Amino acid sequence: MPFNRKAHKFNASINEVEIGTGDKAIKLGGENTFPFYSFDGSLGSGPKIGVEITDLGLDAEPEGVKAYYAGCNTIGEIAKKAAEMPGGDFVVLRLAGGDPNGANKSVDDLVAVAKEVADAIDTPLVVEGCKNVEKDADLLAKVAGALQGKNILVMSAKEENYKAIGAAAGLAYGQKVGAESAVDINLAKQLNVVMTQLGVPASSIVMNTGSAAVGYGFDYTISTFDRVRAAALGQDDKMLQMPIITPVASETWAVKESTAAEEDADEGWGPVEARGISMEVQTATACLVSGSDAVILKHPESVKTISRLIRELV
Amino acid sequence: MAKFVTIGERIHCISPAIRRAMDNKEPEAILKRAKEQIDAGATYLDVNIGPAESNGPELMKWAVELIQSNFDNVPLALDTSNKAAIEAGISVYNRSKGKPIVNSADAGDRMSNIDLAAANDAIVIALCSNGPIAADNDERMMHCQNMLEHGMELGMEAEDLWFDPLFVVVKGMQDKQMEVLECIKMFSDMGLNSTGGLSNNSNGMPKNIRPIMDSALVAMAMMQGLTSAIVNPCDQRLMETIKSCDVFKGNTLYADSYLEL
Repeated sequence: MPFNRKAHKFNASINEVEIGTGDKAIKLGGENTFPFYSFDGSLGSGPKIGVEITDLGLDAEPEGVKAYYAGCNTIGEIAKKAAEMPGGDFVVLRLAGGDPNGANKSVDDLVAVAKEVADAIDTPLVVEGCKNVEKDADLLAKVAGALQGKNILVMSAKEENYKAIGAAAGLAYGQKVGAESAVDINLAKQLNVVMTQLGVPASSIVMNTGSAAVGYGFDYTISTFDRVRAAALGQDDKMLQMPIITPVASETWAVKESTAAEEDADEGWGPVEARGISMEVQTATACLVSGSDAVILKHPESVKTISRLIRELV
Repeated sequence: MAKFVTIGERIHCISPAIRRAMDNKEPEAILKRAKEQIDAGATYLDVNIGPAESNGPELMKWAVELIQSNFDNVPLALDTSNKAAIEAGISVYNRSKGKPIVNSADAGDRMSNIDLAAANDAIVIALCSNGPIAADNDERMMHCQNMLEHGMELGMEAEDLWFDPLFVVVKGMQDKQMEVLECIKMFSDMGLNSTGGLSNNSNGMPKNIRPIMDSALVAMAMMQGLTSAIVNPCDQRLMETIKSCDVFKGNTLYADSYLEL
C-alpha cells in the first residue's frame, strides 16, 4: 500500500505581531502548525532572535561579549553594535539597573537610556524592566510614552502590574505588550483575557510564559509551551494564540555552568566561555522547538549558531 | 478533545418575529437573534426556514448571506426539509469558519440528505430513527451503523456525521432518559460525534425549571461523550454548565475568567 502523507492541519493560527517600523520591522508568530513543522503548514516568517544589552554596561559580561562590543563607550554605541550583530533580528534593552535592591537608577535616567538606544538603532526594540513590579509599572509606562511611534515591545506586564503597563503601552501609546507569567498556563491565559478586557488588542500582545536554563526546572518551561500551543492550535483558544518570546540569556548566563571558572569547576567542564555559549544555545534550541517565536540571546556565537539553525529549518 | 459545539436554535420560523422577517425579507429580527446568540457563546447558528415549499432556495440563500455577511462568516446549520433550499444555501455559504451542517438526515425517508452532505462536503446531523422514535438502543445503533456506512461509502469522513440519539421529553418518557444517555456513550466509544435537540427533555415544564433540567442533562450527556447540542445559548445557566464541563473534560484550558469567554 503506498504511503499517503496526510498533513496535520489546524483551523487556527498564532497571531502575527509586528514590532519596529519601516524596512527593519519584523513579525513574531503567524504560524499555523507546530514548531518547524513546515511539512504540515506555515511557519509564518519563522522564529526571531533578539540581542540583549543592559543599562549596566559591559563589565560583568563574558569575554566574548566584551570583545564584540570593544570600542563602544556609550549605551547608544553598544545598541548600534547589537543591532548589527550577524543573525540578530531585534535589540532587547534590559533595564536591570532599575532594581531597587540593586543599582536603583531613577526612572528618568532609565527612560533617557531607552531613548538613547532607540535613537541609535533602526531595528525593532524590546524593552525589559528590572523585574520589580512596582518600579516596572512606573518605568515601563514612561518608556512606552517616551518611545511612542517606535512600535516597541514592552516587557513585561504581570498579574500585579498589567493594568498600568497594559494601559500605557498597549492603549495610550500604541506599543506592543509582553504578558509575563511563570510556568502557569492558567495564569498565562488569564493575563491575556484581562489585558484584552482592558482594551489592549489581542494582536498587540506577546507572551513570556516563563523561562529557565536547561537543567533548572526547564521541563516545566517547555511543557508550558507545549500546552499553550496545543490549546492555541488544537482548541483554537484565542486567548492563547499570542506569540511567545523567551528571555534565554538572562537565565543561562546566571547559572554555575556558565559562570564557574575552569579552575573552580569539576574536571572536564572545560573553558567557562564555551560552557556559557553551550548553555545558551541548548536552552534556546529547546525553546524554539517547543514553541517560542523569539528567543533573547546575548553572545555573538550563540546568535550566529541559532540563526543558522533557524535558517536551515525554516 | 475539541470544545463542545453549541448550535444556537433561536433562528426558527416557528417564532412569529422570525416568521415575519422571513416572509418579508426584513433583516432586523434575524440579525438581532443572531447577535444575541453569538454574544452568548454559540459556535454554530441553526437557520430553520421550515419546509418553505414555495421559495426555499431563494429564502435560504438570503438568510445565509445575510447572517454570514453581518457576523464574520459565522458557521451555520441549514435546517429545512427542502433539499433544494439546503443546496442553494450551501452554494452561497462561506466555509472560512466551519463547514455547513445539513440539518438533518435520518435512516428513513431523509437518508438522501447524507448524499447531499457528501456531495457538498458538509457535516450532516444523522437522526437515529427511521421515522418514529427508536424502540431501544439496538435499534438506534442499527440506524447509526446504516447511516455511517452510507456516508463512508459516499466518501464522507466519519467525523462529519453527527449522530443524534433524539432526546426525549421527561414528562411522558422519563423511563427512557438513561437509555438515551447510554446511546451517547456508544457513539462516543466508537469515536463518533454527536448532537441533538437537548432542550426537548424539558418540554412542557415551567419556564424556571427548564434551564435547571437542561443544565443537568447537558452535564450528564457531556460525561457520556456528547460533542455538540442544539440549544438556546441565551440560557445562561446552560452555557455556564457547558463551559464548566468543557474545563473538567480538558476541552478548554481553565482561566479565572473562563465564563466570560
